[in-house]
Amino acid sequence: MPYKKLRIEIANRVGYVLLDSGARFNKLSITTIRELKRAFTQLDADDSIGAVVLSGYPGESFAVGADIGQMVNFSSPEALHFAELGQSLFDRIESCSKPVIGALNGITMGGGCDLAMSCDFRIARDTLQIAHPGARLGIITGFCGTRKLPRIVGKNFAREIFMSSDAYGAEEALRMGLVDRVCPSEEFWPKVVATAEQIAQHPLSALSATKRLINAAEDTDLRTGCLLEREAATYLNSPFR
Amino acid sequence: MPDKLCTIHVKTDGIAVLLVAGSTGTTAGELLLSLQSRLATLANDDQIKGVLLTGTPRGFCWCQPAQNSTIHEAARLSSLGQQVMFALEKLGKPCITVIEQSCTDLGFELALASDFIVAAHEASFGFPAIASGLIPFCGGSQRLSRLVGKAKTKELMFTGDTIDGEEAYRIGLVNRLYPTGEALPRAEELLLHICTRSPSAIRIGGEVVNAGYDIDLATACLLERDAFALCFSRFDQREGMQAFLDKRPPQFTGE
Repeated sequence: MPYKKLRIEIANRVGYVLLDSGARFNKLSITTIRELKRAFTQLDADDSIGAVVLSGYPGESFAVGADIGQMVNFSSPEALHFAELGQSLFDRIESCSKPVIGALNGITMGGGCDLAMSCDFRIARDTLQIAHPGARLGIITGFCGTRKLPRIVGKNFAREIFMSSDAYGAEEALRMGLVDRVCPSEEFWPKVVATAEQIAQHPLSALSATKRLINAAEDTDLRTGCLLEREAATYLNSPFR
Repeated sequence: MPDKLCTIHVKTDGIAVLLVAGSTGTTAGELLLSLQSRLATLANDDQIKGVLLTGTPRGFCWCQPAQNSTIHEAARLSSLGQQVMFALEKLGKPCITVIEQSCTDLGFELALASDFIVAAHEASFGFPAIASGLIPFCGGSQRLSRLVGKAKTKELMFTGDTIDGEEAYRIGLVNRLYPTGEALPRAEELLLHICTRSPSAIRIGGEVVNAGYDIDLATACLLERDAFALCFSRFDQREGMQAFLDKRPPQFTGE
């Protein structure tokens, strides 16, 4: 089935999921979320790739939240269902066996910010405008952001971002740790491609194990995490397996 | 009897300034009890939309070190201190700490329990009481290590050294840094701006952030899903989204 809201490109062992809704902003509508889930399932199963890039490049936005016109009249059960749909996408991205790089090409708001946080790390173009404007709309996010943002930038920055609902630029996002690298506009895409291709050269078994272990590190005590690491290392580092 | 250890000044714009001066003659227990009653007032007064927590030019949270107490007294003091900090975290209204002077020991613990810290360059932060063999007792060791990491927390706690505003800004302890005299007005500006946002979203969001931080991702996401759905049975959600669609400023009620 063809995609309507995104494109998939594959080059040099890297799979690119490029949001392209045809409009100025890539809204995380129900259709877009479903297509993203399908795209990640497809790329996860594709043995020819070793890393995934998620971006809205070359458009103006990475992604913004849901369609407010669609959401304004949601009942609580509809909102609950929508949160579940979004959360299932982020679970799909986090459980993808390949590293996923968020390439934040521009405007990243609300659900788009949560989408960015489900990536393994984030490279931003210097034109980035990133916000979590729920409090301006009278809601909180339902897409895991209240758990992930404080873990990424610390509780204090997270509370400022949520409470102010303001947009932050690339340098501020870098200082808070919300993005891991910032590139000038002309160097942005070449840097994304080079980083993804470098990662994709490494054996997938090691990349997958690393991703699983680091995700597990957040939710386990140190001793259990070390046990998991020993098991993975014993298997992976054994030359005669 | 009203005391002068900490005082509340409510402004016409709904911002309350909680001045926690303390005094050199007071004990930590007396200061904490005073804070406890002030926090109850701030939480229950519907006219108050947001809180600026700060000191006077004389100081912030001055009190005698909690020395020479029996084991039971120390345990009771720690228990009281932790209750007060949790009460601040659960205030239900945005609270920004503004530091333009020395913020150490009990004061540092208090600042760490607010939503975030805005400081001036000459601010200083630390736990110098280690020199007398004392450690934080209001949850400060736990809050600081979650905020700036274990290594930085150990360095600060082991040495007892204080760091200035710039260093605090660099390590992410302080959200915003301003020249002397500017921190308070700029923090008030920011707080007023925050008070134009939905009070209900801010309260629910704060609770979910705090609850979700210490539990696993899956459980935290369930909690968040339910809180998100709850927002859609409230006035603020309809008003906020309709105002966005109408391109007008929202009139939130917190309902």
